[in-house]
This record gives sequence, structure tokens and C-alpha cells, in this order.
Amino acid sequence: MKIAVTVNGERYERDVEPRTLLAYFLREDLGLTGTHVGCDSSSCGCCVVAMDGDRAVKSCTMFAVQADGHEITTVEGLEQGGKLHPLQQAFWDQHGLQCGYCTPGMLMTSYVLLKHQPAPNEAEIREAIAGNLCRCTGYQNIVKAIQQASTELAAEPAAAAVGS
Amino acid sequence: MDPGIIGQSLARIEGPLKVTGTAAYTSDHTKERVAYAVPVGSTIANGRIAALNISKAREMPGIVEIYHRGNVGALYKPSPEAGAIDEARPPFADDVIRYYGQYVALVVAETFEDATAAASVVDVVYADVAAPNVELQLVADDEPAEVSRRGDPEAAYDASPIKIDRTYITPAETHNPIELHASLATYDDDGFTLYETTQAIVNHRNVVSEILNVPRENVRIVMKFLGSGFGGKLWPWSHGTLAAAAARNLGRPVKLVVTRKQMFQTVGHRARTQQRVRMSAQRNGSLTSLRHEAVNDAGMLDEYDENCGEATPHFYGTSNLLVTGGQTRRNIGSPTAMRGPGAVPGLFATESAYDELAIELGLDPVQLRLQNEPTRDQSLDVPFSSRHYAECLTVGAEKFGWSLRSPAIGSMRKDGSILGWGMSGCSWLAARFAAEARVELHADGSARVAIGTQDIGTGTYTVLAQLVAETTGIPIGRITVELGDTRLPPGPTSGGSMVTASVIPAVLEAARAAMKSAIGLATTLERQPFKGWSPEDLNFQSGKIVARNGASGKQIDYHEVLQNASVAMVSGGGKAASTFGEEHPKRSSHSYGAHFLEIAWQPEIARLRVNRVVTVIDAGRIVNPRAALNQIEGAVVMGVGMALLEEAHYDPRTGAPINSNLADYIVATNADTPRMDVTFLDYPDTKLNELGARGVGEIGLAGMASAIASAVYHATGVRVRTLPIDIEKLL
Repeated sequence: MKIAVTVNGERYERDVEPRTLLAYFLREDLGLTGTHVGCDSSSCGCCVVAMDGDRAVKSCTMFAVQADGHEITTVEGLEQGGKLHPLQQAFWDQHGLQCGYCTPGMLMTSYVLLKHQPAPNEAEIREAIAGNLCRCTGYQNIVKAIQQASTELAAEPAAAAVGS
Repeated sequence: MDPGIIGQSLARIEGPLKVTGTAAYTSDHTKERVAYAVPVGSTIANGRIAALNISKAREMPGIVEIYHRGNVGALYKPSPEAGAIDEARPPFADDVIRYYGQYVALVVAETFEDATAAASVVDVVYADVAAPNVELQLVADDEPAEVSRRGDPEAAYDASPIKIDRTYITPAETHNPIELHASLATYDDDGFTLYETTQAIVNHRNVVSEILNVPRENVRIVMKFLGSGFGGKLWPWSHGTLAAAAARNLGRPVKLVVTRKQMFQTVGHRARTQQRVRMSAQRNGSLTSLRHEAVNDAGMLDEYDENCGEATPHFYGTSNLLVTGGQTRRNIGSPTAMRGPGAVPGLFATESAYDELAIELGLDPVQLRLQNEPTRDQSLDVPFSSRHYAECLTVGAEKFGWSLRSPAIGSMRKDGSILGWGMSGCSWLAARFAAEARVELHADGSARVAIGTQDIGTGTYTVLAQLVAETTGIPIGRITVELGDTRLPPGPTSGGSMVTASVIPAVLEAARAAMKSAIGLATTLERQPFKGWSPEDLNFQSGKIVARNGASGKQIDYHEVLQNASVAMVSGGGKAASTFGEEHPKRSSHSYGAHFLEIAWQPEIARLRVNRVVTVIDAGRIVNPRAALNQIEGAVVMGVGMALLEEAHYDPRTGAPINSNLADYIVATNADTPRMDVTFLDYPDTKLNELGARGVGEIGLAGMASAIASAVYHATGVRVRTLPIDIEKLL
């Protein structure tokens, strides 16, 4: 099937099989391997990408054809003009990662969270990332990182929107 | 040395790659003409393959080849000296099925989707299908091995007024790193290049070269970023062999990613253990005997010893002790090391027993531990290199507020919950693996350290940069770290919490050799400040070459020396021997710690959670406190999962691990996270290495489950001796 998907601001027209999952389309067809696959049951969250800027979707549980006509933002699309997005900077600063495998999904879930709730409290952060598993960090620093980014984005709101 | 970088909480140097999606994990690599492989696993656990019907699969679109016993080509068992592997039988070696999910065929296709679809229609006909042996009661098949014995524990037990005799069980647990196991194999005139999810590239090369029957030199292993392993990625597994064999046979690259479901079947798990603990004491609490007899399950063909008594012989002061370990075979995939193998399940048993003994004695569990603190390792009859366990206990008790504990069951309440306060000690070995390293100092003012080890997420990239920065004074931002490739000098396995301790001597020696080389060069340069000086009179400080006595005031940047000499770099090598598994060690080296924690139990809604944890760790000198803290916090949360949630269930009819996904096998999520307060005692263990650093990867998990079980008992009066502590056991 022919689809047209805008990924990180770039429009791609591709012929894909209906069975191809969005995660594999991003990774194999577009070479965007920042989106990871950790399960196939929608449980781990490391494949999360943003759809149309304001929905966090698990790309391993969605077909590429369902993204037809939509805008997808992946972890590769967060950095703007060579500058890390405040969330990326905060995950780095706060040791919000160890192995880093869950990080892209954590970032994209947080990215959508902060779009809807620019100043979430700790409980809201924890609820928002409830669908993202991290087996390394114990989560504390991930929560701190999202708090740091939230504070920074409040100071410079223009940084919040990317890829649109 | 320029002090200051060691001990700093530097952010990870590879952080920018990980937050931008540009860190390339194994399955992120690709090659021209890559084909995709999907293994077919058996759907029985005990029987034999009578026939493999692949005709339907062959007609599916995109099929490149379907491999099975008849066409995979020669694969060999590695010799015992090659290195470590838990499942030594090569895939497809015979028609016998010994566990559910055992690979019986490999479908290779043009796309992942093609391969997955075709794999689903490979038709396996089984014969001699028998009920699998996945029996949960464990009795050793052979006489258990005596691991440690001293005194006469039987007689001392019989003669003691206070005794307990308890059996503890820990279930099969799966590692579940978030990254799936994967291989990308290429084969050409130079041999194999294998991108592998491995915690041990050198071991992997040594073992896999024998499986493939090619010279070691013809196998290169690459692993730049690992999405964690927790032991599950220590040793080679059969999928990697299959990917390599397919690449060899096809002459094109082959990528294979193991599914989450297959990860419950074919890449190891923490063995189930059943441990009998007998302890006896005088009425004053003096421990008179300790017997710790463990049995673990193992695969049908392989030896796997969980070594539950890893910490027992040295952790407790008693004149009479026995530690044994036995195995019993089951129709399961081979177990393997999982974070804190041996000590973690072992300490659940012995620390729980200690708590039970304290209750028998009417003593505080902290007091009982302090009272039986040994002054030397009684099993090896050698001194401890550095042991501050007692301080872990006293500092932890103070920080937690342990003195406010009221010991009666269910006597502490808050906000409608019954609180339980529990504590436990923990211990983990400290040793070094052999390591070699190379350090280059470049004429542009940068440095590079090269070592064939791995960063499995723990922070090894950053630690290596810190070591070079500390030694040379070159800023951390100008240091490149190269690891994860067997072309580099052979480095340590990322296991046993030993990498940091292992790389220190080799990297420091290499850096110093490179600095010495720069100094030597400085003495040869015409019209330069140190022409004709003796190298002994010069020093390398903060990236500069200076006179040792300092009196002359002369100095020169090392990179100026290199530039003036028209050399691109100077370099040095370092090498340090292993201390791991020494037969007659001169000292007993371990890390120690203590957990104090609070659980809340709401019987009305059967809700059990861990509220807060205070952990104190004695792990020598801490190279990067934030990274180390992160290790302990992560381990504590994993400990909550181990205590309350994690268990792989094998279906007694089919032998299948039935909760083989992350929805049914529950790991701790952020909602389960307690408040954590971690303290490191700072006692450098300089007997282990010059900086006195041990390791922190595993110890934080040890003792967590026993502390939680003790807290649950304190709240509910129910002593759970079989993990996990699911709420059904409390109702």
C-alpha cells in the first residue's frame, strides 16, 4: 500500500506491506533506529513515538499504514538546530538513563506529557510513564529529569514544539 | 596524578548518543544485502523430532533458506577451556527436544516479516512426546558438593539451646533487559564479524570460534551499546550460532532478533533454588552453627551451579559451618547467571533465617548481626581486605530510625496501613578479571583509551574516561573511549561487578606508559626546554611536562612536544592479571551493605507496597557517585520486583514458560518504586587496586528480598519463605 508519512518534519512516500508495523517501518525502511523494539505486546514502551505531536503511540503495536497522512516525531526529531531538547538534556544531566535502551520511549512519552501538562507533579509524571519500563535506573532519575525539563520549558516555551 | 576527577558525579560521556537515538545497539546495525532470520522453537519440552515439514514454508514469499539439522552445516561443542557457555550443545545437534522453545529450524528471508510469516508455518512432527519434568520440588540428582565446611556443625547444632531449621525457595526469574537479544552476523574472506548483544566480547569470540571451527583471529565481535543484560547476555546462546552459521552458508549478512517470548525460553534465567538453612545459637545470640544446603534446577545437558552459598562462609562468624550445593535436571532451557548469582538467592535464605533466629532469641536483628561479626574470613582463614559491614548496619539503622521500631507483629500503623519494618545485610564478591588496555596521547591534545571490554549501561565509558583524565590531567571532554570490539586489547567481562576494579590497573599503567613516552620525547627535542634532561627528572602533570623539582619553572604542554617532534601520538600499554577464583587468596575481598525498609500492608484491599528503603553500601572507593547511586537504586527496585512480583511459571503439561511476556511476567514499574536513600561508605580497598574501587552492580539487589520478607512478617505475622511474596500468601 502506498502511504505518505511525515517523520520529523520530512515527508516520505513509500509502498509498504499492510502487515508492516510502524516501528519496523521507521527502523528498517527509514533507517531511524532510535525507536527501539523491546517486546511485541505493547508492554515495555521503548517504541513510543509521538503522532501528530500530541499522542504518544506504541509503534510496535500500530501498522505503518495507520500512520498514513499523519506526522510522526521520533527521538531523532527532538534535537533542533544542533541543540538538545530540554528533555534530552535533562535525561543526560540527571542520569535518567543507564543502558539507554528505554530512553527514546521515555523521552517521547514525556514529550507528549509535557505538551498536555506542562507542569506535572510527581504523581502525574509517574502515571504518565507507567507504560514505559526501565529495568536499570529504578526510575528516580527519570522522574527528576522530566521535572527538570518541565521547569526549563516553562522558562522558554518555544522549545516545546518540534517537528511541526 | 591529578586528583579530582575520580569521585566526581560526571554525567555519562555517551549520554548525548543515548538521548538522540544515535547510540547503535546490536539490532540497530545493518549491512548491505542483509537477510533476516527467525528461529522456530519446539512446542514440546520432552520428546524428539520425527519430521520437519518445510515445504509450505518454502513457498512463502521472500524465503532465502530454511536451516535445520540436515543442512545447517558443521557446528561443534566448544572445548571446556574455550570459555564460558551455559548451553554447550550446538543448535540442531540432534533430534532430541529437551526444553520448550528449543530451536528446531531457522527461517531466513528477505524481510523480517517474510521470515516471521514462514516460521509460523514450519510444521514439526514430534514423536516419543513425554510429560516434561518441570517439578517444583528440588532434590539433588547426585550427592551435593561440599562447598565449605568447618568445625562440627551437626554436633554444635544438636548441643545448642536455640535452633531453627527452615527451607526457602526462590523461583525461576528471567532477566528481561529491555533490549532483546540479537545478532548481526557477516562472513567474508576475513572470517566472521559478529555484532552481538554480549556482556563479554572476548569470551564470546573464544567460544564461538570453536563452535564455528575457525581460528580465533577470524572472528571479530562488536558490541558498542548494550541495552542491559543482568547476566543474561554474559555467555553465547544458540541464536548467535545460528545467525553466524546462516551467514556462513549464504555468504550474506544475517540479522536475528530474539523475541521477548523466546527470551523466556532460550537465553537463560535465574535458576529455581530450594535452600535448607539450619542455624543454632546460644541464648545470648552467639551463633554456634550454620548449615546452608542448596539445590538448583538445571537444563538436561548442562551443569549449572547457582552457588547459593557464595556469601555464606565469610559473612557470618561461627566455628561450625557447612555449605553444600546440588543440582537437579529439568526440561527447561539452561539457567544462567542473573544479577548477583548465588549470593542473591542465597542471602534471601540465610538473611531470612537470621531474622527468624533473632525472633527465636528475642534479639534485635541488627544486634544479632553485630554480635556475630567475624574478625577474619573463617572459611579461608585469611584477613578481610576491607570490611565495614558493622558500620553499614549502624549507619543504616541510624538513618532509618530503626530504634523507633516496635517489634511486636502488626504493632506499627500509619494512615490506615499496617507498617512492617525489616532489614537485611548484603554482600558481594570483589575481584579483578585480567585486563589489557592501550592509552594514546595525541598531538592535537586529545587522548584515546582502548580496551576490549563493554559498557552494559553501568557507566564504563565514563569510568574509563575518568581514569585517563585523572592520570594525565587531560580534560574529560578531550578523551575518547573505545571499547566493545575484539580488535582492541582484551578487557574484562562485564559480570560480577568487576569491570571497574579490573580496568583500573591496566588503564593507569597504560596511561603512565604513554606519559613516560611523551617525557622521553621531550628530552630529545632541540631548542626545547628539556633537551638533554634525564626523564627521571621530569613529571607529567595536568597535560604538561614539568621539572620534578619544580625549581626551574620550565614546562611544556605534552601536545606541543608531540607536534614539535612531528609525531601523531605516543601510546602505552597496560596489563593486569586476574584475581578472580584464586585458589589460595591472601585476603578475602567483598563488598558489604545493609538495607532497612518499610512496607505498608492494607489487609482490607490486600495491598502491599514498599514505602521507603535506606541502603548503606561499603564498596570501596566510588569512582562516579551518581552512576554508582543509579546502580544501587536500580538494584533496589529490582529487589522489590524479586520480592513481590517476579516468577517465571512453567506449564506442567507442555513445559512452556507461560507468562512469557512483559504483561504477565511482572517487573517493578515506577509505580512500585519506594523512596530511596542510599549512602556509600568511603573506605578504599587498595588491596584490590590502587584506587581502592570495588564494584556496585550487583550488591544492591542482594538482601532486598529478605529485608522485605522480614518486614512483611513484622506487619502480618506471615513468614513467606517462597518468593515471590504475592498477596495470596498473605490472605
